[in-house]
Amino acid sequence: MNRKNINACLLLCLLAIMYGCYGTRASKGGGQTSVPHNRTTRAADLLLPEGYRAEVVATGLNFPTAVAFDDNGGLYAIEAGYSYGEVFTHPRLLKITDGKAETIAEGEKNGPWTGICWHKGNFYIAEGGQTSGGKILRAGIDGKLTPLVEGLPGQADHHTNGPVVMNGYVYFGTGSATNSGVVGPDNAAFGWLKRHPSLHDIPCEDITLNGVNFETDNPLTTDPADKAVTGAYLPFNTAAKDGQVIKGRLPCTGAILRVPVTGGKPELVAWGLRNPYALAISPDNKLYVTENAADDRGSRPLWGVGDVLWEVKDGGWYGWPDYSEGKPIKLFKPPGSPTPQPLLKAPRATVPKPVAVFAVHSSSNGIDFSTSEQFGFAGKAFVAQFGDMAPNVGKVLSPVGFKVVWVDVATGEVKDFAVNKGRKNGPASKLETGGLERPVSVKFDPSGKSLYIVDFGILKTTPDGQSVPVQNTGVIWKISKQEVL
Amino acid sequence: MKRYMFTICLGALLASCSARRMPATEVKEEVKPEAVMGRDKYMQYCQKCHPMGESGLGPALNNNPAPGFIKRFQVRHGLGAMPAFKADVISRADLNHIMKYLKTMKRRTPQPS
Repeated sequence: MNRKNINACLLLCLLAIMYGCYGTRASKGGGQTSVPHNRTTRAADLLLPEGYRAEVVATGLNFPTAVAFDDNGGLYAIEAGYSYGEVFTHPRLLKITDGKAETIAEGEKNGPWTGICWHKGNFYIAEGGQTSGGKILRAGIDGKLTPLVEGLPGQADHHTNGPVVMNGYVYFGTGSATNSGVVGPDNAAFGWLKRHPSLHDIPCEDITLNGVNFETDNPLTTDPADKAVTGAYLPFNTAAKDGQVIKGRLPCTGAILRVPVTGGKPELVAWGLRNPYALAISPDNKLYVTENAADDRGSRPLWGVGDVLWEVKDGGWYGWPDYSEGKPIKLFKPPGSPTPQPLLKAPRATVPKPVAVFAVHSSSNGIDFSTSEQFGFAGKAFVAQFGDMAPNVGKVLSPVGFKVVWVDVATGEVKDFAVNKGRKNGPASKLETGGLERPVSVKFDPSGKSLYIVDFGILKTTPDGQSVPVQNTGVIWKISKQEVL
Repeated sequence: MKRYMFTICLGALLASCSARRMPATEVKEEVKPEAVMGRDKYMQYCQKCHPMGESGLGPALNNNPAPGFIKRFQVRHGLGAMPAFKADVISRADLNHIMKYLKTMKRRTPQPS
């Protein structure tokens, strides 16, 4: 090998190392695609464990987020009425029969409706509250909507979520206002900071601040040189003082609350969560919640934080904003950024250990448990992964999520259940197939023999981090185990 | 020396490739007890950035041809954005088990597309 060849080899090595270097690689999120919007559905494009088959139940839904079944096994779906990207429509409760959708109830432009459950002749719906605050609604089979509780958080980054009914109570989640406790320019990019400049996170109990503040650009003024200094749990451009006490109150953000099915005041169940998206009750009657973890964005970006499955314990504090995955926040330092500092004076309690940790930015959302030996996986949790929103949430090297996984809650093992076929992972719109786009929730039918996957539809992201949802591209899928002859 | 240089260059090039393999969705696996222990540790420390050994926040592992000692070095010392996992976090035995689990993921049969 002569000197020329050696130099060529060294150059190739350098290129290989540069390619392998995280900092030099571009983000390749699932929504980062220029493929034209064209939603087709082909059940054969889903990859399932051997012996299972998929079918399409309904198409053309507008941002569907969840399904429920009445006592007769009738299938109902909710459409969110809101999507990131600031698209507002009317949320709807639909009855799905033979692939056709009939409107049962229509809500105000205060979505997103994020979850629904059926209990003793009524539906219970979580209204996200982007416009006027979250609600838990009760809907009769006639479609009449009655608020069970109003004035919940929901006008900021995350919404009122859930719900499930257990022991005579409706349990639901309230998402945090912010990414990691501090209002910043990323919230202006979401759209809500200019609408509600005084919004911020609310602790459920009294907390004492460290006095850590964050200087950022001020998107609320026209002067590009204007700066803002903001502390945790405070409005934008309001500095925190060392030792400052923030009074806790209900309803708070980043929490699981409950209200009697007959109505009443919200009660605290657990808190210290970022975005507790979906609740489910296991076959042994334990309550579980999926938590969407912090992103690499905003005034206090965190890097490498996996979404989490928690078992919910009464009175539990799960660590947000100073812990994630049950670990201290200093372990989630973004490359090239300073180590994140705790916001609270002292840890409030022992932080529990997660049941399972999901892929970073997978947006692990809806959850249900298999109870049927006929379907298989009895006792395992199934979780819908909406998929990454890169680059807005941070960089990923490949699309993350866009599938349904199962979880062994005893060991924390997470494995794929339903994914798109192909050499690469990603939403169907990026892979140009007829498979899954953005699974947002899962639900077993009353017999437990079939798993329904609610697929939100196409939601792309632009290079500058904007979300671009495509209306009427939502789908409901049904997965069953084939009978062995 | 020249031959070694060529081999090292080729290895570096192959190691930097990160094409993704088909995700597997098998219901049951027959794995050794060490790999089962490795699976639990993998789920605890590795899965969130390399889901199922595939690319995500971090690069794919399933098709990474780097020899085991290089992977162990990277786990212990961290390279690039990857954090280091010292022996007080992942013990030597646990790291051995994780390596065994990685091999089982690599060997699994891809599903037909």
